[in-house]
Amino acid sequence: MSNATHQASAWQPPVELDMHHPDPAAAPAAVAATTAAASAAARAGEASGLAALAAWPQWSWTVPAFFGGVAALVVVALAFDATDLMGRSFAASYALGVLVTVVLAVTVGTAVKLSLDEVISIRRLRQIDGLRAEADRLTRANGHGEALGFADTLGDFYAGRADLAPVLHTLGHTVNDAHSDAEVIALIDRQVLSALDQRAYRFVLTASRDTALATALSPSAALDVAIVLWRNLKLVREVAALYGARPGPLGSWRLMRRMLANLAVAGLADSVGHVAVDALGGSLAAAISTRLGQGMINGLLTARIGIAAMTLCRPVGFSPDNKPNLKRIRAELMSVPKEVL
Amino acid sequence: MKFPNWNQLAQVGEQALGQVNVIAGRMLEGTLRLGVTGLRRSGKTVFVTSLIDNLIRGGRLPFLDAVASNRFLAARLRASPDRTAPRFPYEKYLAALTATPPHWPAATTGVSQLRLAVRFTPGSGLRRSVQPMATLNVDVIDYPGEWLMDLPMLNQSYRDWSALTLELMERQPRRQLAARWLHWLGTVTPDLRPDESLAREGAALYTDYLHACRRSQASLSLVQPGHFIEPGDLAGTPLLAFCPLPAGSGEHRAQSLGGLMNERFEAYKTQVVRRFFVEHFARLDRQIVLVDVLGMLNAGPTALYDMRMALTACLEAFHHGRAGWVSRLTGHEVDRVLFAATKADHVAAGQHANLRNLLDMLVSEARNAIRFEGAMVDTVALAAVKCTETVTTEHQGRKLACIQGTPLGRQRPTVLFPGNIPDGPDLFPENVSQPYRFLDFEPPAGVGRDGRGLPNIRLDQALNFLLGDYLA
Repeated sequence: MSNATHQASAWQPPVELDMHHPDPAAAPAAVAATTAAASAAARAGEASGLAALAAWPQWSWTVPAFFGGVAALVVVALAFDATDLMGRSFAASYALGVLVTVVLAVTVGTAVKLSLDEVISIRRLRQIDGLRAEADRLTRANGHGEALGFADTLGDFYAGRADLAPVLHTLGHTVNDAHSDAEVIALIDRQVLSALDQRAYRFVLTASRDTALATALSPSAALDVAIVLWRNLKLVREVAALYGARPGPLGSWRLMRRMLANLAVAGLADSVGHVAVDALGGSLAAAISTRLGQGMINGLLTARIGIAAMTLCRPVGFSPDNKPNLKRIRAELMSVPKEVL
Repeated sequence: MKFPNWNQLAQVGEQALGQVNVIAGRMLEGTLRLGVTGLRRSGKTVFVTSLIDNLIRGGRLPFLDAVASNRFLAARLRASPDRTAPRFPYEKYLAALTATPPHWPAATTGVSQLRLAVRFTPGSGLRRSVQPMATLNVDVIDYPGEWLMDLPMLNQSYRDWSALTLELMERQPRRQLAARWLHWLGTVTPDLRPDESLAREGAALYTDYLHACRRSQASLSLVQPGHFIEPGDLAGTPLLAFCPLPAGSGEHRAQSLGGLMNERFEAYKTQVVRRFFVEHFARLDRQIVLVDVLGMLNAGPTALYDMRMALTACLEAFHHGRAGWVSRLTGHEVDRVLFAATKADHVAAGQHANLRNLLDMLVSEARNAIRFEGAMVDTVALAAVKCTETVTTEHQGRKLACIQGTPLGRQRPTVLFPGNIPDGPDLFPENVSQPYRFLDFEPPAGVGRDGRGLPNIRLDQALNFLLGDYLA
């Protein structure tokens, strides 16, 4: 501790504040000022490097204005067309008119609903980012008293999740007033999120086996691409829904983009080393069969994407000792050739 | 060439035999001897009681990895393998803590031990396939903290010990506390006839001085020999009838008062201290050192300095180092040591980090020495039984982190601001005479009634450090 901070928190005499008999005379008058050290330093680390890398590029106002204009024109044109269509169908027959109106209403209604869902899902993704940044800040500052608020926020976030109700209930029992902020976050990590991690891990395992098997067996490269894309998108949605993000098509696409950016730019901490190892391991299998080798590499890529999805959708960042690794998945994939042959 | 005496040979044999037993036992079940070390009033008995209770009930240990990963099955008490030692009266102490009104167990007067068998599912799949359910026996012993102060005497001769003790007495407040004994010392010389009544008189006055040291405002810790304060079953025996004497020139003559004292000192060392050490400390696997930092802050700089010296001296007697497979077969070494600032519930929870930093500072020398030997060392601020709640109150327009609990000797709970622990090395501001007044608290009423174990602060983290790898 620096001498300056020590000077700032002047010595303060003990005081008894009896709740039954408030007796101000018993309390020494001089209670010097102590303010907790500002957590500004901790806030500095809030902007996560990965998130910043993967954020949308900064456009000038012209680009949104252009696309906004196009969208508005399309909407107006569609509206004209729709009224025109309605008019024509009513002119043809009353029944056809009603039918077309109903179909139109359903289309518009579902479109509104879909976009609302999308907005909500993107908000939830943002919320998760906020939670993760907050958890990170609390862990680093390691103060006292703030993390209970965080636990409440997380409880609200997962309200209505029947599968999480028991663990959240246990958490309420375990956390007490003596735990520091970092300890509360660690408890949330261990008691609430580790159960989710296990399930997410199974999703990742299943998906990577699926892609490995399917691409090993598929006859054409185009089919490979389709299978990998479809399965990965499905995996990302499963994982995100598990952690409470519930992304729609647009949301999962954004998630996918961010993950690809993460994989490509920053990567998981170990990506370079593991890609080399994975590729080598793959080539060994490839000596036996090119298709099998491709399948395994695809499987590993899927696993990687799944783990990236876990990292991005988790409301509390992984700590160094519970970081997911590819070891188990790799071992699991090694059994795929046996199953195929 | 120096020949080992029979005592030592017998000791080595005894140890070897014990070792064979231990290895045979390890084939089937793991055993871990946990040394709970602490100067007097540091909370050893309550710590052991809470440890046993929490392991048996298992409801308040979220940071113990085996509990967190649902591998912890259950724990129960077993008879200690050492049939001669009294059993640790866990039920009695628990009854005291959970009585209405609750009260703390009385000070420990003798050695007692207990074995706790912990059943768990092994974490690694390979081990699980061989052994679906594993058992770890945790042996804990409880003893009067005063006896710990005897350990440094093992490496000292009567002359060295006397010189050190007399040197300590040259400073206040010891000088004043020892006034009557020093007066007696003025009337005798080591060359006098070995007179039993004279020796007893000196020992009695010296014991009075030791008691005065403990009771004094400064609450001194370096109080030797420990059995003088807490004689156990040795009260009144000639073993305890000696006291330090200034060394003349050369050795004390055999037929003199000095010679008699020298002889008794050596007998005390071999028959009391060494026996205690060999029986209880020589085969430790893990060690927790409890330090009552807050009590020492209350008592002032002299007490703090004294405690630091006492701790460093005691810890030198232990073998610390990494327990590899070789040392497991040949002899025991403590491979993990945890320093714990006890009674952390006497300050608001926001102060725990400062309390731990202060402990870090106080034990830095001992910690470095142990780390150098190759053992893992950590520090923690804990409370074996949590007696207070941290609450935030307004006081004169300012928010204060206060604690709520029943101070010792009172009937109903109160809210008080206990004072802060400085986060720097300037512990005692010069212009304030008694800057700290951390009160002791009664155990809360109805404690442990929910059947989840005694409420505690960071007992689980301490246990995870001490037992975690054995429960893997």
